Amino acid sequence: MLYVVLFFTFFSLFLYVLLGGADFGAGIVELFSSRDNKKLNRDTIYKVMGPVWEANHIWLIILIVILWIAFPEYFNIIIIYLHIPLTLVLLGITMRGVAFIFRHYDAVVDRSQDWYNRMFRISSLITPIFLGMSFGALVSGEILVTNDYTETTFQEIFMDPWLNIFTFLTGLFYASLCAFLASTLLIGETTGDTRKMYSRKSGIFTVVLVLIGGTVLLYGYLTEMVFVKDFLQNTWSLAAIALSALLLIPLWRAIKKEDSVLTRIFAGMQILLVIFAAVNTHFPNLIITQTTEVNMLAGTAPESVIKVLGISLIIGGCVILPGLFHLMKSFNMINIPSRSSERQEN
Amino acid sequence: MENLDYARLQMAFTLGFHIIFACIGMVMPFFMVVSHRKWLNTRNPIYLDLTKAWQRGVAIFFVTGAVSGTALSFELGMLWPEFMKHAGPVIGMPFSLEGAAFFVEAIALGFYLYGWKKLPETFHWITGIIVGISGVVSGILVVSANAWMNSPTGFDVINGEFVNIDPVKAFLNDAWFSQALHMTLAAFAATGFAVAGIHAFQILRRKRTDLHIKAFKIAIFFGAVAALLQPISGDISAKDVAERQPIKLAAMEAHYETEKGAPLFIGGIVDEEKKEVSYKIEIPKALSFLAFGDFDAEVKGLNDFPEENIPPVSIVHYAFQTMVGIGSLLMLAALIYFVSLKKKSWMENRKYWWLFALLSPLGFIAVEAGWVVTEVGRQPWIVYNIMRTSEAVTPMPGLKYSFYLYLAVYITLAITVTWLVNRQIKVLNNPKD
Ligand code: HDD
Ligand code: HEM
Ligand code: HEM
Repeated sequence: MLYVVLFFTFFSLFLYVLLGGADFGAGIVELFSSRDNKKLNRDTIYKVMGPVWEANHIWLIILIVILWIAFPEYFNIIIIYLHIPLTLVLLGITMRGVAFIFRHYDAVVDRSQDWYNRMFRISSLITPIFLGMSFGALVSGEILVTNDYTETTFQEIFMDPWLNIFTFLTGLFYASLCAFLASTLLIGETTGDTRKMYSRKSGIFTVVLVLIGGTVLLYGYLTEMVFVKDFLQNTWSLAAIALSALLLIPLWRAIKKEDSVLTRIFAGMQILLVIFAAVNTHFPNLIITQTTEVNMLAGTAPESVIKVLGISLIIGGCVILPGLFHLMKSFNMINIPSRSSERQEN
Repeated sequence: MENLDYARLQMAFTLGFHIIFACIGMVMPFFMVVSHRKWLNTRNPIYLDLTKAWQRGVAIFFVTGAVSGTALSFELGMLWPEFMKHAGPVIGMPFSLEGAAFFVEAIALGFYLYGWKKLPETFHWITGIIVGISGVVSGILVVSANAWMNSPTGFDVINGEFVNIDPVKAFLNDAWFSQALHMTLAAFAATGFAVAGIHAFQILRRKRTDLHIKAFKIAIFFGAVAALLQPISGDISAKDVAERQPIKLAAMEAHYETEKGAPLFIGGIVDEEKKEVSYKIEIPKALSFLAFGDFDAEVKGLNDFPEENIPPVSIVHYAFQTMVGIGSLLMLAALIYFVSLKKKSWMENRKYWWLFALLSPLGFIAVEAGWVVTEVGRQPWIVYNIMRTSEAVTPMPGLKYSFYLYLAVYITLAITVTWLVNRQIKVLNNPKD
């Protein structure tokens, strides 16, 4: 059962990074667009993301709930020492969510739309940065677990571990990953000039992504960070990253051929490989503090709890996944090949 | 104030905010599908207008509920890490099922909001019902987690560790049924009266009266039925509290002396120093009867419990009085509504509409008061008789700032949402422009 639970943990992480990421990315793309394109983008993402918008973010809730139930000691460290960046993430999620709904459901369309738009775009950029910073902080080896509040300052325990150059880079990395995802996925949803715009953006964000990714590794290597050193010595992780880079070629080919199904599959696989590379390096010691490494699997909840959780997840999965799939299909977010050709005929 | 106090304030404030949106998100979909059904049956365009207006309301309240709920699922851990570390595995089951229920709700809402003219009519309508049902289910599940805090079972404590955990037993603890029933009814009563009141006010302003009367009738029906059942369910809750948490009962009633055939106090000013209640109305033997179904039963008073286990008496007492007072008022109003179905002339009278317009906010005030009774009445325990709130709080200092941040954000949100609802009503009243 522990494996079922672990599977769902990483499955939700993957889907949140992918779907939630595409969602954040859509806002980032909008932020970096010219005035006319902003409006175009706004309408496109409403059409494309609208129906699944809410569902995308529930993966985060599922992830949190699994962590606290099944891995209480591990969760305990995350939630105490990353209190501040996670609060900022929450603030961002709140702003983004309400801005999205306000701008589409306000009964009157007037100047207030400018506010909603601005709030939506800015929080779309900020939230993934803080989320990426939190991920980075977990493995950066800066967290200081202590009960001694006389020797150390607030700054040292609650600020420095997440507010440094390395985490800032991982934050930027995740944000550019989001933008890359969104622009790539939106290509398949549009035609003509819009399509060209998204293709161009996708190209730009790919380059940005690779550059930042390289910088993260270089910086980590130069500062002798445990995680990065292990990463560079781990054959599987390196292979995964290399493969994900290679996948760019068929990805671009699929985009050229206007094959939106393959485009999505390749983009999804790239994310999967990036997550695999990161997790594989250090699993199960997924927190690296200044003094030790925290094993996620030490201090798991008792067998009886894991069993009930596993069963709930399986049942939940059986209800949710077909429903979600059907939702995406109904609104043409997943194009079954025959359907997409139908659409082209129209 | 200390860190602990700010943590409590923040928890209370964010939950108090979430509960309003959660109740509306649970109940509004039912109004919406009734109106939708009437549109499908009669093809009267007024019902379509109403359905669409309520749908926009549901969308706005749903995301506000969802984002504040997401914040809560982090906050439980961020503010009370020791509680979550020990209790998380025990009460995980309702929370994980709740996650599934949200998912179903979000998927169904996706279908509903974006499905107009795209999905088959009946299927589209059914997705609306699913939104409502999964909302109620998630409400019941969280409340059962809260009930566990009042009535912890399904584990043993050995050397401070929770062992032999039985999540199913913890989920089906002694308090879950009475609390879940009472909460669900409360959501219907509060939202029903609030929505009906808003439409009653529009009727007073003589704006699109035909539409607002239809809206009023749908909303008040749910509210009135729930308000009639609420005191019965409240009595079940009170008997339950008497058995499981005698200190909470004593605090609710501000009852200091243990006695047989105890009287019920109505009103009164509590003096916590002198341990007295002055200016109260006493109903002889009523408390013994209400709590135990026996006029001569013994009710334990606060003086019989150790000082360090007593919750803030006056807050709990006033909150309880508020809830019961409002409960009685709403029940009367429900009766008035049902009589007015026979005596149509009442509806011509402006006083009738003023009554419902004025009752509008009361249901939600009762919801907040009820939660204060439950939560403050459990103090100083976070898990009754097992873990103290002070042992659960995060070691991180400076929660003051986090509290003010949430305060500012949520107040801004509340103002914006009110303003948006107001705009919806304006557009509904003037469909031409
Ligand atoms: C519309 C709202 C509303 C109304 C009219 C009432 N209640 Fe209530 N009450 C709630 C809304 C509520 C609540 C907010 O939903 C609570 C908080 C926890 C819970 O399960 O329900 C609650 C809790 C609550 C509790 C504490 C339960 C516990 O701690 O486990 C008691 C004893 C009562 N109620 C009793 C009553 C009585 C005797 C009422 C008589 C009319 C009444 N309530 C009306
Ligand atoms: C009495 C207390 C509560 C009730 C009745 C309640 C009920 C609900 C309901 C009905 C919703 C659906 C939102 C909507 O339709 O508008 C919701 C959302 C949510 N609630 Fe609560 N809730 C309560 C307390 C809590 C607590 C303590 C938590 C934290 C652990 C929580 C976490 C959530 C989350 C994460 C969501 C968002 C789900 C989504 O994205 O749709 N709730 N709540
Ligand atoms: C939505 C309705 C709710 C309201 C308005 C509410 C209100 C409050 C209040 C006033 C406090 C502070 C008590 C004090 O310190 O004196 C509190 C504390 C708390 N509540 Fe609730 N509560 C609600 C539902 C829930 C639910 C559903 C849960 C959990 C599943 C929950 C968990 C907690 C926790 C963990 C604390 C902090 C520890 C404590 O003070 O005991 N609450 N809440």
